[in-house]
Amino acid sequence: MNNKYQVYAGGIVGILLLTFALSSLPDSLNFFREEKSAMFAFTLTVIMIMLYEVRLAKNSSEKTFLRTIPGLKAVEEAVGRSTEMGRPILYVPGIMDMNEVETVAGVVVLGHVANMTAQYETELDVPVARAIVMQSARQVAKEAYMTQGRPEMYNEDMVHYVTDDQFAYAAAVNGIMQRDEPAACLYMGKFFAESLLFAETGNSIGAIQIAGTGSQTQIPFFVTACDYTLMGEEFFAASAYLSEEPELIAGITAQDIIKVLLIGFIMLSIISRAFFDLGLTDFNLITWLNL
Amino acid sequence: MLLKRYIPIGIVAFFGALTLSAWFIDNETIETFANDDATQFFDIIAAFAVFLGALNLLKLQFIKVLKQQSGWQYSAVAIASFFFAFIIGFFIRGAYFVGEEVYFSQGAAEEAILALGSSEQIVPVDWGAHVQTDGSLFQWMFKYIFSPLSATMFALLAFFVASASFRAFRARNLEASLLLVAGIIIMLGRVPVGSLISSWVIMYIIAFSVGFAVNAYTRNRNMALGWVLGSFGLITGLGFTMGWPVDQPAIFYLPALQEWIYLVPNLAGSRAILIGIGLGIVATSLRYIFGLEKSYLGE
Repeated sequence: MNNKYQVYAGGIVGILLLTFALSSLPDSLNFFREEKSAMFAFTLTVIMIMLYEVRLAKNSSEKTFLRTIPGLKAVEEAVGRSTEMGRPILYVPGIMDMNEVETVAGVVVLGHVANMTAQYETELDVPVARAIVMQSARQVAKEAYMTQGRPEMYNEDMVHYVTDDQFAYAAAVNGIMQRDEPAACLYMGKFFAESLLFAETGNSIGAIQIAGTGSQTQIPFFVTACDYTLMGEEFFAASAYLSEEPELIAGITAQDIIKVLLIGFIMLSIISRAFFDLGLTDFNLITWLNL
Repeated sequence: MLLKRYIPIGIVAFFGALTLSAWFIDNETIETFANDDATQFFDIIAAFAVFLGALNLLKLQFIKVLKQQSGWQYSAVAIASFFFAFIIGFFIRGAYFVGEEVYFSQGAAEEAILALGSSEQIVPVDWGAHVQTDGSLFQWMFKYIFSPLSATMFALLAFFVASASFRAFRARNLEASLLLVAGIIIMLGRVPVGSLISSWVIMYIIAFSVGFAVNAYTRNRNMALGWVLGSFGLITGLGFTMGWPVDQPAIFYLPALQEWIYLVPNLAGSRAILIGIGLGIVATSLRYIFGLEKSYLGE
């Protein structure tokens, strides 16, 4: 364990030295953006910690502890409920395209949900707002049904395109909810004003609702109207949590280590700023780092 | 395996690393690629993919109508609307200008010239520009059908916010009660009437509420009465001493209190979530770049 933190300490020192070296290059050779040195060092630190954690996870037989995330536990419950009620599951992967990380994360979670619906023989309905998302989601769902040995249950039209327009899409999805009355509604992706339209309509039909998003402004709406909400980083951790793959879980461990480092850095910045404002020092860490 | 796994992972890793490096490397070619070219590639692919989407939409709606499945009437409307928008977008240009006046069709424009005896020429708007020009059928549809329908959906939010707030503000437990109190303070503090409510009234309400809580918790009426009378006396005495200023003590003045709730506990919480989101996005992106996350390939 101590060895691990020695590696990190050594790595961070190395990264800082590299950053200083790059920043000190003569102007004729200088391809490095000096003003982004702090961000560069931070990015390399994140990469180093993540790769090292993955390496440790690969070589370790120990299972990493993950705290229970109720929203993810509830996904299986939601699929089970739909199976018992003989009603479909509605999965909404947000309204943005595949260039948004949240949409990609939503499609990845769809793969896990499709695995469960294939196992339980439950109907899955995925209306999408972007054609590229439709293609990706189809591929992911198809692979999930194949993996579960139920290719005959896969139907290409379970993932279907509706429209690119935000409110037209909201109207269509609400219509599907009202007509088909799905037993579970899952919203995983990037959302804007339509989030509450979905969640309240889902609530009115009595569906179990699980939402996951990194859209900060929409989290309160989902928390209010849904049974479970995956907030921010929980949503991005969903894939690792559901897959239980050590390599992916190592990414979450790395995230936690970086978070601790960030908390330390924030405390240091506060102290530095306080000393600067009180006139005790001329040095301000935040200004010095160009943040 | 090579086509379905290694090549896609390689493409993601290469372009992911290239885009990331554009942030740190001072090179115009890489920068142009990351900021313009790559996004244009995406737009081109998305434009082609829309055909697949439109075909899928039509296929499903036609099946619904032909099989007369539940709600097939809506599908009929969807198909009709699709072809209406398609025809007026691609085949009916509209927007024929005669001077300042604009007409839907060339015939209408010619008739107008004859009727007015005008010497003006008919100038049709360019193809492509017609979808955004007043006087074209497409623009008419956008203004008088599409926009009101979108606005209607958006307006539904007001009602949904009310029903969601009603559920959220039910004081079921301590957290929900805190939310309720914070919600009331924010709402009152942000409207003009909030600044008319004296901080002394708030102090009396708080003293009474604490007395109520003391009674509920200890089941001792005398203690609760003692608390209420004692605190009322203290507040009244303090009020006479200070001359009952509306906004003093500032901590109990609603506009100041709501500002504090908004800028301190609320901002701290939302920034914590924001840091988590940021870290999550960074970690997720790196997982894709390094090929650790392969679920998007269906694995």
